[in-house]
Amino acid sequence: MKVGIPRSLFYFKRPVFFEEFLKNLGCEIVFSPETNKLILEEGTKISDPETCYAIKIFFGHVIFLDKKCDYLFLPLLKKNEYGFEYCPKFFGLPDLAKTILKTKILSAVFEGDLEKFSFQVGKKLKKEKSKIKEAYLRALSLEKENEKKRYFSFQERMNSPLKKVLLISHPYNLYDSFVNLQIKERLEKLNLEPLFFQDIPYEMVKEREIKDIPRFHWEFGEEMVKKLDFVLKGEKRIDGVIEVSSFACGCDAVLKEYLEMIVKSFQIPFLYLILDEQTGEAGYQTRLEAFADSL
Amino acid sequence: MEKITFPRIGNYSGLLKIFLEELGFEVVLPEKTTSKVIFEGSKNSPEMFCFPFKVNMGSYLSALEKGVRKIFMITASCGSCRLRYYAQVSKKILEEKDLPVEFIIFDQNFFDIIKKLNQLTKKSSLKISSLILLFLKEIRFIEKIERIGFFLRPREVEKGKTDKILDDFFLTLEKINSLKELKKVKKEVLEKLSQVPFEKKKFPIVGIIGEFYTVIDPEVNFRVEKKLGELGLEVHRDLTLSYHLLKRIFFTDFFIQRKVYPYLKSTVGGHGRDAIFEMLKYSKKNFSGILQLLPFSCMPEVTVRPILLKIHQKTGIPFLSLSFDEQTAQAGLETRLEAFADVVKNYFEKRKS
Repeated sequence: MKVGIPRSLFYFKRPVFFEEFLKNLGCEIVFSPETNKLILEEGTKISDPETCYAIKIFFGHVIFLDKKCDYLFLPLLKKNEYGFEYCPKFFGLPDLAKTILKTKILSAVFEGDLEKFSFQVGKKLKKEKSKIKEAYLRALSLEKENEKKRYFSFQERMNSPLKKVLLISHPYNLYDSFVNLQIKERLEKLNLEPLFFQDIPYEMVKEREIKDIPRFHWEFGEEMVKKLDFVLKGEKRIDGVIEVSSFACGCDAVLKEYLEMIVKSFQIPFLYLILDEQTGEAGYQTRLEAFADSL
Repeated sequence: MEKITFPRIGNYSGLLKIFLEELGFEVVLPEKTTSKVIFEGSKNSPEMFCFPFKVNMGSYLSALEKGVRKIFMITASCGSCRLRYYAQVSKKILEEKDLPVEFIIFDQNFFDIIKKLNQLTKKSSLKISSLILLFLKEIRFIEKIERIGFFLRPREVEKGKTDKILDDFFLTLEKINSLKELKKVKKEVLEKLSQVPFEKKKFPIVGIIGEFYTVIDPEVNFRVEKKLGELGLEVHRDLTLSYHLLKRIFFTDFFIQRKVYPYLKSTVGGHGRDAIFEMLKYSKKNFSGILQLLPFSCMPEVTVRPILLKIHQKTGIPFLSLSFDEQTAQAGLETRLEAFADVVKNYFEKRKS
């Protein structure tokens, strides 16, 4: 049985788990290719003009996978394990995809209980309970391992002699190099060391308490604020912080105010980049170069 | 007592002022939403924030010039929407401008409101709750007047008469200070409205759905309702303050979710679900058009818009979606509304024959 996973948006929230879990259940996985111009064009055509850049790209991926698989995997992510909500635009994704798709949708609601979610998905694929349980546990352990690996490489990067720049954003902006216009390579060319803050496991910063900042009910808000505090108060000095945001992202409008406040209180340069389908490469490069000069 | 103000809330602003004064506060009414208020507000707000925030910001600024340092804000309501952080973000921005303010934040919960008002005014809970009930009753009256306006506008013989009466009423509402005067004004406006001559004819009905703040505040939505009335369309809208409050009290969300389940399986925050629910309801009734109003990049409304378009394709009912921000121009809006009115009238004639 072929199951399609769009390589965008929610996939980057749990890249290993979703893939491994479905593989262990005996499904053949069809990925959409990494974002390219064609996907972006298709997505912009089909989605609402005022919705955010990330969602436009997401629908490009969904359209690409249409009719290429038996099921399209589109989970409804509502709350994470720690009880924080995902972006409200995630809530409508399966229903919005249904209005344009011909392929069947494989969906389940994730409200904090990953095991329950896995059983719901497995049930829809008509698998046995023991098999689902096994697939779930294996995927989870692989995810943990991957997390450790990522944090290890993060620590290595922290020790580098180059000037370090912390990148803050949603995972679907950071790990999709088409969306962020190869920000990693660009920074490396400018002799800077980019650090992805997603590589820090949330468990490490869970207990932190930060004053003067409202407690966000969005999972990424909570995550961004705590991780930023963790990195900036750490032993190694960070030389600059860049926030990458997609155009018309409602949550970032709120978060940016506070992230900027935290970074400025440490007297570190801060750059805010908004991306959309019309972002020009030249202007982008100039801004990054100017930022590198200010460090 | 210290001066207080509150974010402007459409035609209800005057009423809220009377109610707060009755509780013993000294109230400075927020300025009417003019282009100046919008300009000042958007200059001082985060660029990507939604339009209602910018409007609120502008109205705070005008009130702060008059020496107000306390602001009432009802928040924590619309699920996952940005409204939750309005008070915190505006407080932060105003503090950066050396304008320290105190926000009195209410949850939309009857007991929480009574508790907080009790602490502030030192009045008995009984008195406060009876005043709140009275306030709810008066809200219904304002909505009744608005509904009469919707009915009369296309039908009136002498064009513009209804609007004159309504404008007068809302202006005097903002000037009076006590419930006694309110009673007199209410009686007057009903008398005046009953004397407006009108023709008995059927007009196409347009249902208005969308984001709460944009829908209920005629100054934010460039008086769409009045414009539609002038174009010969009757307006209907369910989304009012009392609808919103009753929803909070009786948890009608459950029934709404059941009705919209084939289209949307979860809440999207704000009034996203209600928009679908209302559109489904209207398209089954004798409505000839649906108009959606939303502030630019409003998260819930933008999420449900493709679903609304799907319903529009399925049922064939004319549908127009208008988004507002500080760059909306009157002329472009009017052209679009006129074109929409033609489509609605055609649909109405076709259905009749």
